[in-house]
Formats: sequence, structure tokens, C-alpha cells
Amino acid sequence: MTKQIMIGLEVHVELNTKTKLFCSCPTKGNEEPNSRTCEVCLGHPGSKPVLNKKAVEFALKLCLALNCKINPELIFSRKSYFYPDMAKNYQITQYDIPLGKKGKLNLSSGKEIGITRVHMEEDPASLVHPGGMQQSSYVLVDYNRSGNPLVEIVTEPELSNAADARDFMKNLITILTYLEIFDENNNIIKADANISIKESGFVKAEVKNITGFKEIERALNYEIERQKKEVKEGKKLHQETRAWDSEKGLSFSLRKKETEEDYGYIIDPDLVSTEITKEFIEKTKQDMPELAQDKVKKFISLHKISKEDAFVLSQEKLLADLFEKVAEEINPTLAARWLRKELMRVVNYNKKSLNDLEIDESHLIGLLRLVENKKITDNVASKILEKLIEKPFDVNAFVKKENLGAVSDVKELKKYCEEAIKENPQAVEDYKNGEKKALHFLVGQVMRVTKGKATPKEVNEIILKLVK
Amino acid sequence: MQDFVSKVKNNEIDIVEHTHKVIEECKKINRDYNYFNVISDTLALEQAKNIKKNLKNLKNKKLLGVFVSVKDNICVKGVESTAGSKILKGYKPLFNATAVQNAIDQGAIIIGKTAQDEFGFGTFSVNVGVDFKVPKNPFDKNRSTGGSSGGAAGITQKLSNHIALGESTGGSTAAPASFCGVFGLTPTYGLVSRYGLIDYANSLDKISTLGKTMEDASLLLDSISGYDEKDSTSLDVKNNPNKPVKRIGIIKEAFGKGVDKEIEKNVYNGISKLKENGIKTEEVSLKLPMKYGIEAYYLIAVAETSTNLSKLCGMRYGMHEKLEGNFNEYFTKVRSSNFGQEAKRRIILGTFARMVGYRDAFYMKAMKVRTLIIEEYKKLFKKYDALVSPTLPILPPKFSEIEKLSPLQNYMADIMTVSPNLAGLPHLSVPVGFSDKLPVGMLLTADHLQENKLVEIGKIYD
Repeated sequence: MTKQIMIGLEVHVELNTKTKLFCSCPTKGNEEPNSRTCEVCLGHPGSKPVLNKKAVEFALKLCLALNCKINPELIFSRKSYFYPDMAKNYQITQYDIPLGKKGKLNLSSGKEIGITRVHMEEDPASLVHPGGMQQSSYVLVDYNRSGNPLVEIVTEPELSNAADARDFMKNLITILTYLEIFDENNNIIKADANISIKESGFVKAEVKNITGFKEIERALNYEIERQKKEVKEGKKLHQETRAWDSEKGLSFSLRKKETEEDYGYIIDPDLVSTEITKEFIEKTKQDMPELAQDKVKKFISLHKISKEDAFVLSQEKLLADLFEKVAEEINPTLAARWLRKELMRVVNYNKKSLNDLEIDESHLIGLLRLVENKKITDNVASKILEKLIEKPFDVNAFVKKENLGAVSDVKELKKYCEEAIKENPQAVEDYKNGEKKALHFLVGQVMRVTKGKATPKEVNEIILKLVK
Repeated sequence: MQDFVSKVKNNEIDIVEHTHKVIEECKKINRDYNYFNVISDTLALEQAKNIKKNLKNLKNKKLLGVFVSVKDNICVKGVESTAGSKILKGYKPLFNATAVQNAIDQGAIIIGKTAQDEFGFGTFSVNVGVDFKVPKNPFDKNRSTGGSSGGAAGITQKLSNHIALGESTGGSTAAPASFCGVFGLTPTYGLVSRYGLIDYANSLDKISTLGKTMEDASLLLDSISGYDEKDSTSLDVKNNPNKPVKRIGIIKEAFGKGVDKEIEKNVYNGISKLKENGIKTEEVSLKLPMKYGIEAYYLIAVAETSTNLSKLCGMRYGMHEKLEGNFNEYFTKVRSSNFGQEAKRRIILGTFARMVGYRDAFYMKAMKVRTLIIEEYKKLFKKYDALVSPTLPILPPKFSEIEKLSPLQNYMADIMTVSPNLAGLPHLSVPVGFSDKLPVGMLLTADHLQENKLVEIGKIYD
């Protein structure tokens, strides 16, 4: 089968270091424009860059996680072009010898996507266009971001649809989060996508500046449809650079690309090449956590949970770590079901992220142990979990205090059931006449009276026996 | 200088009063010779007062009360530092260059910023920025001081109890030292931090010292050298301990055709002094550096400088113009009206040398030649402690003569000085005599980190 669509990504990831790539200014903090700056990240004459070793370690971790070939030397070049967001009118980046090359990343489907290269570079300043990019007559420059450490990941054009691209981004973010070199809530991840379709003879359009993995699917679907439409209308596509406007949900042409731009690269003579020694690589490897794909394998083989559960739990490091701790004490299948479904439901409902959670594994173990031993019903446990997310408390004490223990004594349950039957003769009659819903009604009555402390299944069985 | 420093320490000289006098003297000299772009009288007096007040605690300071002038391309906190360019008019650095800070920490008084070719682009200090004044030779006002550290060399000849901080990229210290009859000591690349040096060509730039005596130039170098974590190219080593100088090679390609006879005569006189001091001399050949040094140097220098100067666009500091048009039009306007002709020439040459298709033919090839040049020097230094040649092939020219030179003839004046600079080798211009009242300099080059050998040789001429 020949390819229908070819998509390659250039992904820019802001690394989660405390300080900038070439100076000691903080990468985060004061949001007042131009407050986190110094002579280096402002490009003042006389200032010189000094490489942040932590950023190198972070970038190396990513290269290793993506199975890249590591270059023994880290070499920075100057990429020259004039633009108002550039403090020096050149960007310190890597040119023909990137830190890592020839790596790969597996999509959730198992399809392997080639990584052409991974390199480090400094972020330019941010530009603020009052009133919008196309309308504003002037631009404001904020150098707080200038010099923040970035890695750029370039893929082979092996993604074949927008969903694949989204999945690639999602998996990449999972790796970055696992490596703890990227903070999804505070760091920016942006992609430029090269897209071409068979119908045009694969004429490339580069769509710049797509933020986040949800946007990439939107932007690519838009672009694929646009290209198909234009070809259908008999238009000839040109190689061009386009910008994605996420608010309007469309891309617009920035410039036609007649020739490759010439950035006049030279090796940055202010920086010396940094040796990436075997020892450094080994040490970095040792410091690397288990990655999502390793976790999936482990969860299946060690904890014997389903492949699907293992996959879902592994996508978020915090969730995976939490699962591992809980599964030490609780039946793993039960733990898996509760964590991936109930915990995530409650977290999402509260519009929180796992990062915000105040509870830890001890609360979950406490709660699930009660479930496991049938001391409380699922229903009650869910309600307790909802409360726990709001503010942690001692689960056992709470259950005792609120008298939420499950009614599992058959005699007692039977009493409640008999009462329900007695008070609702019409429902019993209806059931006997073949209305199944009437049985649900009776079970519901028992559940209401017991405040959810009874198990619906059990109540169901008892009532069935009684009404027969 | 030791004598002066001890008088300051012993309070035999009222340093504040003395500073007032020196400032007046500098102003007077400047009216005739244009050695300073800025005389930092406020800062100098503040430092002098500080010394006077804390004299007791400053007894161990090597440069106590010594007046230090700073080439305009080296940043002094709060003092306009333009590298001799109009485009940086108004730029007052937020920080001291490490070399300046080190000098201040040793008790130096910063007297001002000295004139230079714009960004260091020249051998005669005539390529000064738009609206800047050309410094004049202390021995003949119609002649060049040499460059690009022209102001530094001129004021060193004229002013007592003073040492200059200069800078050399391709010979910008040796050349003016030679024309002004002073000692110009350029250290090994990386020995002195470049932090705070406004870049010309980063892989070549070296902060240097100029003194009336060898002792002066050496004293200041000792105070400013050392590792600096703010400069990634700074060396984490000390220069080597003293070793006796036994053998010196005379570069045979540096004599004969194209070299002024008067210069040859004076340099040979200088060499005979070496022999008198028991140093063996013999002729050596330095083929590659003499043949390709200029080409390789200029290619690398312009390629680097064309990126360094990009940041100067009237946006963050220095000259601003009325905000009109898009950013490209604005940058073009600022750069067109505020860069001098030589700066524009080097930006265009350097941008060309970096272009795809030319990069390999020019810039990358020049880098390879540079490696070969270093290797050729290294071979000679296995046998010789130093190499000797004239500093420049010509005597200080008249301004009217310089006007007639083509850019290439201009660049050829650097024939003796570019190669040590290209190889990052320490080198020293010593005054060896006069030809009709014009000074002649002799160039000594040593192996990396062998500054002490140069100083030992230089003292012969003190």
C-alpha cells in the first residue's frame, strides 16, 4: 500500500530546569515582563553564555529514552536571522551535529516512528501583539522566556494521519513526564508539522506553532482537508509555511518557500564543545526512572492485570507510581480498576490533575482494603473517594463515625427487603405481571433505606427469592 | 611602578589630589591626541577617595593607585562603552568586565575608555566609528598610532604611573605598541577572561596589556589573568613557571621583501641584544603562517564578527532611531547610519563567507588552515623558546599615506601579527629603537602559556 499522507513533526519542548540554558536567570517565577533577565539573556555587548549542565543531563535523558545514538561531543552553533524576539539576532542551537540522532518512539498501536534528531537550543523572547498578530501595528517584547532551555525533536515523515500525530505527542509527553524533565502544567510543548498528501504529489506545507497534543490533531485534520480540497478544485499546491490559529481553528499562509533559508551557521565561538563521556551516559542511564513501556510489561507480568489496565495506568507516571504502591497491599486487579476508573473519574470531575492530589497511597489503601473485605460497598467507597479528593481524612474513622459499614448480615438485609415488599405491594404485583423495572424499584427502596450500605446484587437476590 | 605604588601605600602621595592632576593631564593630552573616547573622571575620583579612606586595608594591593585606561571595547560598569562605534553610543554596561574588576580589586584607578578602530577593525586606528576622533601618534601628530588599540598605546607613551588594558584580535596590541614605542603584551587565548569584552571575533579576541616598561605590562597581566566561570573559553591553568630562555628562532620569511630597511636594521640591533644576553639565535622558516595567515585570519574574523554585530540594531541599547516601518526597515536604518564603512565591509564579507555553498570553501577551510598553522608553530616551539620578527613591516605611516591604501594593502600590514593571534599564542612587541624619531617594534612569540619567557626577554629592553 502506498502512503496517502506523510506527516513529520518538529517538536519543541521546554525543559523543566530551574535556570536558563546559558545564564543563571530563573526559568519561572515573576511574571512581570522582563523581570527575569540579565545581560546574557538580553544579549548585552560583552556578556557571554555559560552552558547549564542540568539542561544537558535532561536532554541526554530524553535522547536515551528515545534510543538515540549519542554524539560524543555537544557542539552549539549560531543560527543567524534578524527578528525582534531574538536578543542577539542569532539563536544558539545545534546544527549538523545534534546531541542525539537515529532514535525511535513507539505509538500506542506499536507502530515505530523514526526520530531523525534531538538537539538543544535556547528559546527566543516572547512577542506580544496587542489586538492580535495580524491586526497589531506594533509588538511588545518580553525577555523572561529568552534563553529558556529547549529540546527539538525531529521525526521522520512516518506519521500517516492526524490521530497518529496526536498519539505521538501524547506518548512523547508521557516519556517527558516520566523523565521529570518537563512539567505539563508549566512548560510549553509546541510542534511544527510538515504535511503532504499523495494527491498533490506530496507538496509539503509546514504548519508552525501548534501547542499541545489535542491541537495537533485539529490542525492536521484541518490542513489535510484543506490540501485535499484545493487539489480537488484543481489548484496547484506550493511549498509554503503556514501558521495555526487555534482560536479560529484555521491555518493561514505566512510565506511561500522558494528556497531553503540560509541561516549562515557557524559554531558558536563563545562556547567550548562539551564532552559527553561514556561515564556521563552511564550515570545518566542509572538515574533514569522506569519508563511507561517498562511499566506496562511489569504490571502485566508481576501484577497480572489486564493489558488494557496496564496501559492506561502507565500513561501517567503519578498514577502508575500510585498503583504500584497500592498494589503491594491490595488485590492488583481491584486496585487497577479503582485507580484507572473511579479515581480518574473523581479527579476529572473535580477538574483537578493528579499533581493536585492531597491524598496519598495510604488513603487509597485504607479505602480499598474496606472494599476488598466487603466492609463497605462500592457505592459507599465512591462517595468516600469524592470526599477524600476534597480534603483527606482517616477513612476508617470516617466509616465508623458515619456508620457506613456495609450491611452484609443476610438476616438484617432480609428484614429491610421484607419491609420494602410490604410497603410496596403494587410494585410486587407489577413485577409478578412481568414488569422487570418494578424489581429495580424495590432494590432501590432498600438501597435508599440502607444509605447505599447494602450491595445491590445481594439485595436483588434476596428480593427475588422473597417475591417468588 | 613599584616605587609609585609604595608611595601611595605609604601615603607619600595624596592619591585624590594626584588623581585630579592626572585627570587634568589626560584632558590636556586628549585635546591634542584624541586618546580617550571617555575620561571617567567621576569614577576615578570615587576610586581614589576610596583608596585614601581605606589605605590601611589595602597594603597588599598590587596596583594600588595605578592609573589604568581601558580600551573602549572592554566594559566598565556605568561608563559609556562603545567599542568606538556610534551604534553603541549611550551603552553603559550593567557590569564590569572581569579583567576590569580584577584590576579594580587590586587597587587600580580606572581613568577612561581609550580610542580604537571601530570594534577593532583596523591596524591604524583610522577606522574609528562615525563621529569619533582618530588618535594621533605621540611622536608625530600627522602619523598613525597603529591600531586597533591606538588610544591605549598613545596614552601609555604619554602618561606616567599608568598601564593600559588593550585587546588584540589579529595584532591590535602589538601594532600600536610598536608605533607608539611601548611594550604590548598579548597573552595566550583564554588566560584572561573575555567576560565583558565586546566581541570582535570571539575565537581570537584577547584582552592584553600595554606598559611603558616590561614590568608594567607584566604587572597588570598578572593582576587580570585567571579562570573565570563566566567565560566558557577561559583557561583553568596558571601560566607556566619561569624557565630560562636559551634559544630563539628568527623567522626568515619576515625579513627582506616588503620590509622597510630601517625596520630590519633596528630589529637586527634588537636581536643582537639577545645574543649579548647569552641567548642563542638562529634562522627558522615559518612557511604556512606567513603565506596563509592573513587569508585564514580575515575569513574567520569576519565570519564571527558578522554574527556578533547582528545584535546591534537599535532595539535594546545604544543608538535608537525614530520607530518607523517594519522591524527589518528599522534595523536597516539604524545599522546603515551608525556603522562605519569598515564595519559594513566586514559584515558583508563575513555573511558571504558563512553562506551555504561558500561556507565550506571559505570559512571551514580557513578553520583547517588555522589548525595547520598551530601545528607548524608547535613544532618550532619544541626547539625554540620564542620566535622573533619585526612587529610591522612599515614605520608609522602618515594619515595621508593610509588614505591611499586599498583594503587589501591595509590587511597586509598585519602579516607578522595575525599568525600568533590565529594560533592563540602569547606575543609581545618590544620597542627596540628609533628610525628618524619614529619608534620601531620587535615581535616575540612564545608557546601557549609561556608568557613568563616573553617577560624575561622583554626585561632586556626595559
